[in-house]
Amino acid sequence: MLFLQLLINGLQTGAIYALTAAGFALIFGATRIFHFAHGTAFTLAGYAFLFAWRADWPGWAGVLVAVAAATLFGMAMERFVYRPIQRHEGSFFTVFVAAFGVGIVVQNLIGLFAGRGLATVDTPLSFGTEVLPEIFVAPILWIAIGTAAVLFAALTVFLTRSHAGVALRALAQNPDLIRTYGLSANGLSVLAFAIGSALAAPAAIITAMTSGLNEAIGHQVMLISIAATIVGGIGSLRGAALAGLMLGVAESLALQFVDTQWAEAVSFLVLFAFILFRPSGIFGVAAAR
Amino acid sequence: MIAYLSNLATQVAIFGILAATLNFILGYAGIFSIAHAVFFGLGAYAGAQIALLLVPDVVLACIVAAAIAGGLSLCLALPALRVRGEYFVAASLGLQMVAVTLFAELKPLTGGIGGLVGIPLPTLFGVPVGVLPVALAALALILLATALLARGSFGRTLTAIRDAESAAEALGKNVAAAKTLAVGFACAGAGVAGALYALHTSFVNVESFTMDYSVLMMAMVIIGGTGTLWGPLIGTVLLLSLPAALAFLPFLPATEVGAVQQIIIGLAMTLLMIFRPAGLVGDLSRGQTTA
Repeated sequence: MLFLQLLINGLQTGAIYALTAAGFALIFGATRIFHFAHGTAFTLAGYAFLFAWRADWPGWAGVLVAVAAATLFGMAMERFVYRPIQRHEGSFFTVFVAAFGVGIVVQNLIGLFAGRGLATVDTPLSFGTEVLPEIFVAPILWIAIGTAAVLFAALTVFLTRSHAGVALRALAQNPDLIRTYGLSANGLSVLAFAIGSALAAPAAIITAMTSGLNEAIGHQVMLISIAATIVGGIGSLRGAALAGLMLGVAESLALQFVDTQWAEAVSFLVLFAFILFRPSGIFGVAAAR
Repeated sequence: MIAYLSNLATQVAIFGILAATLNFILGYAGIFSIAHAVFFGLGAYAGAQIALLLVPDVVLACIVAAAIAGGLSLCLALPALRVRGEYFVAASLGLQMVAVTLFAELKPLTGGIGGLVGIPLPTLFGVPVGVLPVALAALALILLATALLARGSFGRTLTAIRDAESAAEALGKNVAAAKTLAVGFACAGAGVAGALYALHTSFVNVESFTMDYSVLMMAMVIIGGTGTLWGPLIGTVLLLSLPAALAFLPFLPATEVGAVQQIIIGLAMTLLMIFRPAGLVGDLSRGQTTA
């Protein structure tokens, strides 16, 4: 019974991980920018929702504010940090350090203004009811899984059927050709950041309602997103989402054997194993470059 | 005042060692580790345990700390051999996060969250000695070693690996051995700094070995200038005098000094990367070589 309960919890966590990881993978795949501040977009969205909730705004307004916060942050990062850097040099390390610096600034600003430590949103949605003997399920589980499923379906349709989506995939493969066809690589880049960052918002809201936020949660989110992207295979959105789901389930199932504080270590061990033995991930093609 | 200055000088020496060794793998070998505080911590716990259980001898503590940190540096060297860039940062980020959990949980070795307290005052061959002279000597030795290694064939091999790994391999350089050695040297140095830190503060707990400290060390190197000899030292002095400078601002509540300091460090990192990626010192020396 414990196993089933942990599996259910794992699916809920996994849906959240899948959303954040897919956002990160979309940005990385399309722009080749290692968006290390993706966790910061998540944190900002979560706290935006928290503030809206505490100010007694209706739920939908809170969601809108959260999505707007994440999207605007992502677009601002592209415009004011990554683009100037890529203009002169843009080595991996420069991009990484700049994004990391932004993450530290936001983390401490949130600590200053919103207080440090755990912050949660209490809603009836996260109260579990006993559906089977000893199995508790909260409505938020269905919301998490439903949101993830709907967003992935929408994302797939967008990337395969719409002009902008096809152009985004083309940007991932050949940025020079994009310019030849008269499309704006910069504009597409901003689009990738907007969509990728927006995907972190629902995950952040659900996290705020369940396990809660803290100002340093961005690091954890980043570790999961990177781990999922690498395990899934860089360049594969489906791989990242699937790996995110797997990591969530694995972390939860591991609780049968170890205490909660080790959950993070499980994801890391999976990542470490993949880096050592299969750096190209599950769906990745062995990197020829 | 003298005590305050001597404390600050000791801190500068200890973090100077950390920044210099991190710079060695980051600036010369191109291995971007965000887990340097882990090896600092390993050295600190090792040094503390030696002082608590055996004798508080500085040299012995440093040697044991260097051996343990250097030995466990394989945790960092293994992924560095397999992957680079993004992948390695991910691995070291994970290592940092797991290590903090380990430090907090392995109570018999690390004292858990409470840490190890009452570390006896340091001695040298039975004679009581201050940490400051030893730390300064260690810093000088490490700087000398860095300068020699960087100038010699080993340093050239490392920079070659940083700039073009396959080219270095094609020229017959043993990439795996060079990387492992570089990581081992840097981590052993961090271990020495850890042992000195434990003896200096006579108290260690996991708080000093978190990701924040790894970031602080990285910021010291980056703000000063990667791949330069003096850059990391200048970065260390700048960043360590920051809290003292902030303490003079009367409108700042004491509890928020840490956060404000982190914000300044973060801003400095981002702005430097946008406008001056080589760091404060880096650009100057680069100008000299082209002139």
